[in-house]
Amino acid sequence: MNSRIIKALLKKDVSLFLSNRFYFLITIVGLILYIAIYFLMPSEVNEELNLAVYENENTGVFSQITGEEGINIEYFSDKEVLRQAVMDGDYHVGISLPDNIIAIWQAGEKPDITLYYSSSTPTEIRDAMVALISEIAYIQTGQSINYNISQEVLGTDMAGAQLSLRERMRPLLAVVILLMEILTLASLISVEIEQGTARALFVTPMRTSDLFMAKGILGVGLAMAQAILFLLLANGFDHQPLIILTTLLLGSMLVVGIGFLLASLSRDVMAVTGWGMLIFIILLIPGFGNVMPGLLSDWAKVIPSYFLTDTISRVVNYGAGWSDVGINLAILAGLTAVVIFAGMAALRRRYQ
Amino acid sequence: MSFRRIRTLIKNEIFYGPKDIVLVMSLVIPVLLALFFNLAFGNIFNDRAALGLLDKGDSEMTTILQSSGSISLKEYYSEEDLKAAASDGSIDMGIILPMSFDDMIQSGNAEIRAYTWGESLIKHRVMIGTIVNDAVHEMSGSILPVNIEMIALGDVSEVPWNDRLLPLVVLTAIFFGGMMLPAASLINEKNKHTLEALSVSPATIGEIFTAKGTIGAILALVMGVLTLAISGQFHSSILSLILVMGLGSVMASQLGLIAGAYIKDMNTLFALWKFGGLLLFGPAVVYMFPQIPQWIGYIFPTFYVIKPVVDLTINGLGFDAIILELLILIAIVAAIMVGVNRIVSRLSNQALRLS
Repeated sequence: MNSRIIKALLKKDVSLFLSNRFYFLITIVGLILYIAIYFLMPSEVNEELNLAVYENENTGVFSQITGEEGINIEYFSDKEVLRQAVMDGDYHVGISLPDNIIAIWQAGEKPDITLYYSSSTPTEIRDAMVALISEIAYIQTGQSINYNISQEVLGTDMAGAQLSLRERMRPLLAVVILLMEILTLASLISVEIEQGTARALFVTPMRTSDLFMAKGILGVGLAMAQAILFLLLANGFDHQPLIILTTLLLGSMLVVGIGFLLASLSRDVMAVTGWGMLIFIILLIPGFGNVMPGLLSDWAKVIPSYFLTDTISRVVNYGAGWSDVGINLAILAGLTAVVIFAGMAALRRRYQ
Repeated sequence: MSFRRIRTLIKNEIFYGPKDIVLVMSLVIPVLLALFFNLAFGNIFNDRAALGLLDKGDSEMTTILQSSGSISLKEYYSEEDLKAAASDGSIDMGIILPMSFDDMIQSGNAEIRAYTWGESLIKHRVMIGTIVNDAVHEMSGSILPVNIEMIALGDVSEVPWNDRLLPLVVLTAIFFGGMMLPAASLINEKNKHTLEALSVSPATIGEIFTAKGTIGAILALVMGVLTLAISGQFHSSILSLILVMGLGSVMASQLGLIAGAYIKDMNTLFALWKFGGLLLFGPAVVYMFPQIPQWIGYIFPTFYVIKPVVDLTINGLGFDAIILELLILIAIVAAIMVGVNRIVSRLSNQALRLS
C-alpha cells in the first residue's frame, strides 16, 4: 500500500464529497437535526400520577394513599382553582369530594364524587382514576379485599430512576448518524463508476488495495467523527468511553462494508438512494427496540445493526462493561469482517 | 382495445419495468409513515400500563380485565413466556392466577404471583394494582359505595393525533405510488425511446396507458389497504373501504398518466410532486388541524377519497353515510378519465410521437 497515493485519493474524495451539495447538506443538516431531536426529547420521566383533591373539611379520605410512591396528591380548598389547575394541565385529574362524605358513608348511602379531567388527559388515566376512587371508597366502607400479591422485580428495579425518552433515543440517533454514511459513501463510489473516473484511476500506479483503503478511511472518518460529536454532546462518553469508541469504530467499518456492497450492486446514484434508504430503514429497526422495550422479538438479532445498537444502549444507558458486551462486540467484529470482505470483492468485480 | 395485449403489457411492466427509487419509495414510504405514526402516537406517547396475565384456571377476572380500558392486557399460556415478557419490557407487570382463583377469593385466601419489569414506571405499577384490586372487588360482588360523575374541562372535541394523521398516511399510500409509478414509467419509456419501439407493435397508446395505469392503481390500492391495516383501521366496512380506495387509486393513476404524458424528465416530475402535493394533501392538513374551517376541504378532489375513508374507519359510519361523497368521487374519476382519453387520442393521432 502506498500512503502517498492513499492521501491523494482521500483528498480527491473529500473534495468530491464537498462538491456534492446534496450529500454534503444532508450530512451537515442531518447531524444538526439529530442533535436537535435529542435535545427536544423530554429529559425527565413523569413517573407520578398527579391528583388535585378538593375537600371542604379534612376528611382523611385519601390518607391511605397520600405519600404512596407513584401518587402525588395536592389539596385545594377552592373548587374553581382546582378546575383551572386541571385545565392548565398541572394535574392528571381533579377530584371534588362532597361535604360530610364520611357521614354519608356512615349513613349507608352513596356520596357523589366529581372527577374533573382535561380533554388532553388520556382515557386510560381517567379510567384508572375511577378505579382508584372506587378502591378508596371500598376501603372507607370497610370492604377490604381478601388476597395477597407477591411481587418479584425482574432486572434492576429502576423505580425513581427511569430512563427518559431522550436517553432511550440516544443509541438510535447515534446509529442513524453512522448509517447515513452508507448513502454518502455508496453514492461517491457510484458517481465515480458512472463517470468512468474509477476506471481512469486504474491506469495510474494506484492499486486496488490503495483505493479500498482510501474509501475505507473516508467512510470510517465521516461516520465516526459525526457519531463521536453527537455522543459527546449527548453525554455518551460518561461511562466506559473506550468501549463506545471501539463500538463506533466497528460500526463505522460495518457502514463502509455495506456502502461498498450497495455501490457495487446499484446501477446509478438514483438506485443507490432508493435501495440505500431501504437498507437504512431495515438497519434502523433494532434501534426502535431501545426506544420501546419489548417491541422487537428475537428475530431482530438477525439484523447486523442489532449488536451495534444493543452495545451502545447497554453501555451508555445501563453502565455495562467489557464482560457484559464482549460477546456483542465479538459478533459485531465478525459480521463487520464478513461484510467488508464481501463488499470489497463485489466492488472489485464492479470496477473490473 | 385488446385485453390480451394489455395483460402482456402489464406482465412486461412488472417483470422488466424499472425497479428504481420511485418503486422503492412507493412501497417503503407509506408503510414507514404508518408504522412511525402508530408507534409514536399509539405507543410511545400513550400512558397505558401493559399487564400480562397467565390464568391457570378459568377465572372471571380474565374477562373483567379484558374489558378494562385503562390497561393493555396480553394473555400468556406459560410462565416462561410471561416471565420473558416482564424481563424484556413487553409488559409492565405479569400476574399469575392460580387454579380455582375465584373460589379462593370467595374463601378469602387467594394469592397472586406477579413479575414486575424493573424499568416499568411507578404510576403504571400503581395503575395495574388499582385495576386488579377493582377487578377482585367486582368478582367478589362488592357494591360500589360511591357515585362518580366525570366532567371534561376545556375543548372536549379534541381528536387524538393518530386519528388526525390517518388521512395523511392513507393519501400518501394511495397517491404516491398510484401517481408516481405510471408517471415515472411513461417518462422512463420516453427517455429511452422504447415507446416508439412499442408503436411498431400492435399495442395501441390506449392499451399502453391502461396497462401502466392498472399497475399504478393496484399498487395504490394495496398500499392503501396495508397502511389502514397497520393503523388498525381495516376491520369494518371492508367492501366499502375497498370501493372508495379503489376509486381513489384509479384517480391517482389517472393523474399519474396525465403527468407522465406531459413531463419530460424525473426532476420535473419530483418538482410537480412537491407543488402538486399541496393540492393532493390539502384535506389531510384540514383534518390535522380542526381549527381550519372544515369547508375548505371540499375544494380538494382528494377530499372525496379521504372523507369516506375517515367516516368508515374513525367515525364508524356505514355505507349510507358516504353515498354523496362516493357519487362525487365517481364523477371526478369519470371527468379525469375524459381528460386521459383526450390525451390518448391526441397522442395516437400524432403517430405516437411522444418525445
